[in-house]
Amino acid sequence: MSDAVATRPVDAFVAAVRAGAAGARILGAGLASFAVDGRAPSVAVFAGSIDDVQACLREAHRRRLAVIPWGAGSHMALGNEPAAYDVALVCTGLQRLVDYQPADMTVTVEAGLPLAELQAMLATERQFVPLDPPGRDVATIGGALAANAQGSLRHTAGTARDWLIGLTVVQADGTLVRSGGRVVKNVAGYDMSKLYIGSLATLGVIVEVTFKLAPRPAASTTLALACDSPHGAAMLLFAARDAGLAVEAAEMLAPAAAAEICGAARWSALVRAAGGASAVGRSVRELRENAAGMQADVREVDAATAWPAWRRRFAGRPVMLGLSVLPSRVADAAEALDGTIENATISCTVSAGVVRAACDATDDAAARAAIAAAREVARQHDGATIVGAAPAAVKRDADVFGPTRNDFPIMRRLKHELDPQRILAPGRFVGRL
Amino acid sequence: MTRDVVRALERALGRERVIASAEELIAFEYDATIERGQPQAVVFPDSTEQVSAAVKVAHRYDVPVIPRGAGTGLSGGAVAAVGGVVVALTRMKRVLEVDAVNRLAVVEPGVVNLDLSRAVSPFGLYYAPDPSSQRACTIGGNVAENAGGPHCLALGTTTNHVLGCELVLADGTIAQIGGRSRDVAGYDLTGAFVGSEGTLAIATTITVRLSRLPESTRTLLAIFDTVDDASNAVSSIIASGFVPAALEMMDRNIIRAVEPMLHCGYPLDAEAVLLIEVDGLEESTAEQAEAVAAICRANAARELRLAVEEADRALLWSGRKASISALGHLFPNYYVLDGVVPRTRLPAVLRQTYEIAERYGFAVANVFHAGDGNLHPNLLFDEREPGVTARVLEAGAEIMRACVAAGGSITGEHGVGLEKRDFLSWIFGEDDLRAMAGLKAAFGAGEQYNPCKAFPTHHGCGEVTQAQVQRAAAAVGADLYV
Repeated sequence: MSDAVATRPVDAFVAAVRAGAAGARILGAGLASFAVDGRAPSVAVFAGSIDDVQACLREAHRRRLAVIPWGAGSHMALGNEPAAYDVALVCTGLQRLVDYQPADMTVTVEAGLPLAELQAMLATERQFVPLDPPGRDVATIGGALAANAQGSLRHTAGTARDWLIGLTVVQADGTLVRSGGRVVKNVAGYDMSKLYIGSLATLGVIVEVTFKLAPRPAASTTLALACDSPHGAAMLLFAARDAGLAVEAAEMLAPAAAAEICGAARWSALVRAAGGASAVGRSVRELRENAAGMQADVREVDAATAWPAWRRRFAGRPVMLGLSVLPSRVADAAEALDGTIENATISCTVSAGVVRAACDATDDAAARAAIAAAREVARQHDGATIVGAAPAAVKRDADVFGPTRNDFPIMRRLKHELDPQRILAPGRFVGRL
Repeated sequence: MTRDVVRALERALGRERVIASAEELIAFEYDATIERGQPQAVVFPDSTEQVSAAVKVAHRYDVPVIPRGAGTGLSGGAVAAVGGVVVALTRMKRVLEVDAVNRLAVVEPGVVNLDLSRAVSPFGLYYAPDPSSQRACTIGGNVAENAGGPHCLALGTTTNHVLGCELVLADGTIAQIGGRSRDVAGYDLTGAFVGSEGTLAIATTITVRLSRLPESTRTLLAIFDTVDDASNAVSSIIASGFVPAALEMMDRNIIRAVEPMLHCGYPLDAEAVLLIEVDGLEESTAEQAEAVAAICRANAARELRLAVEEADRALLWSGRKASISALGHLFPNYYVLDGVVPRTRLPAVLRQTYEIAERYGFAVANVFHAGDGNLHPNLLFDEREPGVTARVLEAGAEIMRACVAAGGSITGEHGVGLEKRDFLSWIFGEDDLRAMAGLKAAFGAGEQYNPCKAFPTHHGCGEVTQAQVQRAAAAVGADLYV
């Protein structure tokens, strides 16, 4: 009866969540900090447990309220403008360590835990999840996975899909579903967990994850190799790759980025050799020799300064662009981009074909120009562009993920199967799903 | 009906690409499990368009479609459980492109796994996933089953090495998923497709990542007087925070089957041997081999042998690779299991495996990917003994249950297939399975797309199950690989 007299579905939703999710806190005002693309929700629900997440979604689903899940908010700039947005579902209260057996090299943890806190805990056992998304150390595990955020470890460790072995999500109607498990090798059932990585929570809300872990390298040295051209820097990186050197991270920086992050305003390779002491020793020696052969300047830099600086420069900027081209085209694409976008910070994971550009465009016109330039460079190099951040008005111009392909009908049906009412982050994903 | 389907297939693909006579179909009733099922027809397309044409015919007549590679699968994935059209992809075996700089290759699904590695070896590259059947099995089949292998410990399984596919969907539509990099916008359909056991679509081209051949490789054979010592050594190696390239274990029954035939140097009086490989820079492998040796010694290894030269390493590996087929020398029949447990639980679950087998009166031979916690117990039996099949299946189910109870899974690399559908509910609930059904619906793959595989029994598979499972426990041929 109380539902019937309530004036708005949101009020009825709040009443139902108050009754059904004991641990949840509800915020009905001052919601500007939960705005997405300038649009604030009507209510924010702070879940204290997986049960709360389920209750919140069950009630929202019943009333067709649009929900955008939140972690720490570090990667909320990614995605199209939401088509609707009633409820911010904040998952930072989900921080339980479910299971950690160091000797199994796996960990199961709730998704609201900041990734950096997980890493700090694993470090006591000399282990880690080889993921280092850009940004300050606040990003939650769930948020980093939903955005498929990746950093310099992409060079050797791939992406989250290579380390996630089990996943629990809450579906749009509040149902809890699991896929994978806690063992490192497992082919039982479809590997659903892959679908949620990078999905911006449009298929379900990630609440618990199991990672396989890697041992922390015993030794590590970071070098900056300053070259005269992107091609020189890329060549040094290809040579290191082809020699199988123990290089854990390898970014090619355009001059402006190099000046900010590791010193000289020249095209530079920022390389972290890591592994056993003798392998690192040999790798550093060969990197230095190869660089000398190309008249590149080599400096050892402070890893504790350079890499965090790199991570800060590629998060939270007003305009961020991610180009994907073949590794062999990276140097050309980066050079073209550097020549056309003003004041851009550019860095490339050459081996993965990733070119990042971030800038502080002062107005919409500048942002539009930067995006147009990136799309043109990508087109010329047979690649694609994802707009990682842009002003809302600019995002409206075109899908931030670019044009859809002939697999889009499968994606649309998948969204329909798992979120038929379209309440999870509607409009935000590829093709504005 | 059958005749109409066959005629339509002949019209669509040409008579020379269709077989439908009973005697010709016999060869396509099996895979490596000797589960059996007769299709109405087998087609041999040469191109994506022909695959699409064949699938469209099956779709129009509403008959099952069963994709098939080399038929080396170990879960019945390629068996026509309730009849239908087998789409054999063995003629589509071209390596379409090798891009050495960008470390990728584009291949047709019928390319044999080892042939791909051979084709790219002049560039110093190889294709990393190495199922033991790699001389015969196809990349398409590997993708369907998310195949593993001894060297997947450090480098991951098939899913970690596939970038994209061209697919023929259930209605014959062609679609591209993934691409040449991981950074393709949209849901990771490639990730969900790999390991879907041929129930979602047929891959007609596959883009794979290539890996660099290591500069140096060292292989160590560690010999133990007890299985416990060997499995404790495995746990200690993993716990030491070091991931070898491969970490395999064989027990006494495997050694007894293999050594007299191959003389690979496994002592006949040993209870277990570990085969441990490290690779990478010369400096690292020397260091790592010494570290591994020290751990084995600390766990009471009675002897250690190091092989560095290619020929010596190949000899040590030959016993591992022939393990299962050699079992035929000990017993007329064997039943291969494929369970996974957390690595710290290996010693305990291994002990349970022996206890369970003994309780049922069977000998068991264990050969497995110890570093991954991926067990392959083989129950040895003689099918002529009355009632033995049922007991083998029961013992197998009990071992699987022990893996699940230890926090593990019912299959690490062979797939669920026909055989383990009913075990799936031990690890997944109805809601989990419903979400998976949603993925199948999204691909537009209905009940006719490789029916009776991977999920608890569909309508119409009921009677098949009993017969199939019975056969699953029957004799397996000498070309069986694990």
